Amino acid sequence: MRTVAPSAPTRLPIYRLILRTQVTRGRVLALLALDLAGLVVGIALGATDRPLLEVVDGVLVPGHLLAGARFVNLFGLSLVVPVTALVFAAASLGDLDEQGTLVYLWLRPVRRARIVVAAAAASFTVAWPVVVIPLAVTAAATRGGTELVLGTIASSTVALVAYVGIFCALGLVTKRSAVWGLLYIFIWEGFVATAADAAAKLAIRTYARSVLESITDVPLAGTFIGAPASVAVPIAVGVGALGFATWRLTRRDVA
Amino acid sequence: MTASTSRSEVSSRPRPDEPAAAEPPAAARPLPERPTAPGSMIEVRHASKWFRDLVAVSDVSFTIGPGVTALLGPNGAGKSTLLRMLCGLTPPSEGTVRILGSDPRRDHQLSRRIGLVPQQEALFDDLSTFEFVHLAAVLNKVHQPGAATARALETVELRADDPRPLRTFSKGMRQRVKVAQALVADPEVVVLDEPLTGLDPRQRLHLISLFERLGAEGRCVVVSSHVLDEVERFGSRILVIVQGRLAAEGDFRAIRELMDDRPHRVRIRSDDPRPLATALLMAPGVVGVRIEGDATVVETLDAALLRRAVPVMARLRGVSLREVTPLDDDLESVFRYLVEGR
Repeated sequence: MRTVAPSAPTRLPIYRLILRTQVTRGRVLALLALDLAGLVVGIALGATDRPLLEVVDGVLVPGHLLAGARFVNLFGLSLVVPVTALVFAAASLGDLDEQGTLVYLWLRPVRRARIVVAAAAASFTVAWPVVVIPLAVTAAATRGGTELVLGTIASSTVALVAYVGIFCALGLVTKRSAVWGLLYIFIWEGFVATAADAAAKLAIRTYARSVLESITDVPLAGTFIGAPASVAVPIAVGVGALGFATWRLTRRDVA
Repeated sequence: MTASTSRSEVSSRPRPDEPAAAEPPAAARPLPERPTAPGSMIEVRHASKWFRDLVAVSDVSFTIGPGVTALLGPNGAGKSTLLRMLCGLTPPSEGTVRILGSDPRRDHQLSRRIGLVPQQEALFDDLSTFEFVHLAAVLNKVHQPGAATARALETVELRADDPRPLRTFSKGMRQRVKVAQALVADPEVVVLDEPLTGLDPRQRLHLISLFERLGAEGRCVVVSSHVLDEVERFGSRILVIVQGRLAAEGDFRAIRELMDDRPHRVRIRSDDPRPLATALLMAPGVVGVRIEGDATVVETLDAALLRRAVPVMARLRGVSLREVTPLDDDLESVFRYLVEGR
């Protein structure tokens, strides 16, 4: 029998493979178009005359910062971040499963966790520049200042970690991951989670918004989560979801 | 495969009108661990697989040793499910599957010793042949994966320096790439699900001889196919799956011999068929004689006895024999009988 290379790295080839399968011209162009639309609105917000200071919940906030933070929250954290994560993460293993190519990774002496981590890392790698950089540019275009740019980068990165984990797992759970993912984003997070504090704590958007609020000091509508939890919980959710995905990949049938 | 062809196995085949188990047993019964039978590389014991109400594989037991074994069965018989169980891609709902003594579902390191050519056509279409097979070599932790990849591609007559992505490849070329990735880690067990689909005749012959060579090297090669001519070339060892059940296993010629409720047909060409036909009518075991031109077609319940009787009778009648040919000892006859009951 052929000799075995004892320490041959296996995670990197899987990472590179999934990265390559995820980055399709159609996906990237569609998401960049969404980013471009946001940038246009951001520029428009920045060009609009606003009061120097506005009062929100008893807090004095610069006008452009307030408008920029609200736009980042509504457009970036509520739409661009989860949808982009859904597009890439759900496809990372879900597409392989659906196409029937997952067998070429599964039937190898590779720990399942490595496959899942590689898929999540690939999703994050491709989603981060498509999401965070354009949103940061958009935030800058609103003339909201450095806090808003930093808040945008931090909040969208934290949210992306959680969404990538969740949607990576979703891709292994159902073949209709896009539908279920959109239902989660728009029905649960966009509607149900706004109705009650308890439900809001089960929405990633709440934590991401809280990160943005903490950094910009701009009060935004909805439940506020304190600084440590607003970062720790999404990361824990992302890691937990990857753990579930690993368990799922180990237990499920492979076509 | 063990020499387990027996009368009971053949006679216990399901008839086409006999349904598979209507529903799975209420509770999976635990089976005691047992070491793999000596010489066997694959051991399947009382394996069943069901998907909700659909029973795909029902209480199948067999062992397979080195060499080429053909898995036969009509579409939907459960062949692919059985092959997927052998590779650990799906666990049996009941029973056990052992490959080289280990459970392929639990022992991930065993994957290195199994090469699978899956039925589905999908590949990583953006990769080149080299990249695709090299990925398999790297993930299997093959020493010098580049050299191993080049060798595997050469084995299936593909170029290692072909830069084209797999999406541009024909179906036959994609099949060969799948075979190359299955062989790159030099596996002891090779499982091939319809590996000859889409290949041109020359490539079919090439791969058939490759599979024979792998079997002769002591590997356990399991090939599923529904093209009986091809299977006949793989060798004579078969597993026949019908409606999820194992209808027969062993040498198909031996299986044919055991079909004692069905007459064997033998064609005898001679210079004078009439006196020979008259004499053969009296022979023990003969149940029918028909003259077709210069040939006499005899139906007998005892082919061995007939083979001994024909030269004697021909000599007594002064008839010169030209040819004695069994008409239904081929795989197709065996398969038709087992699957369709005719």
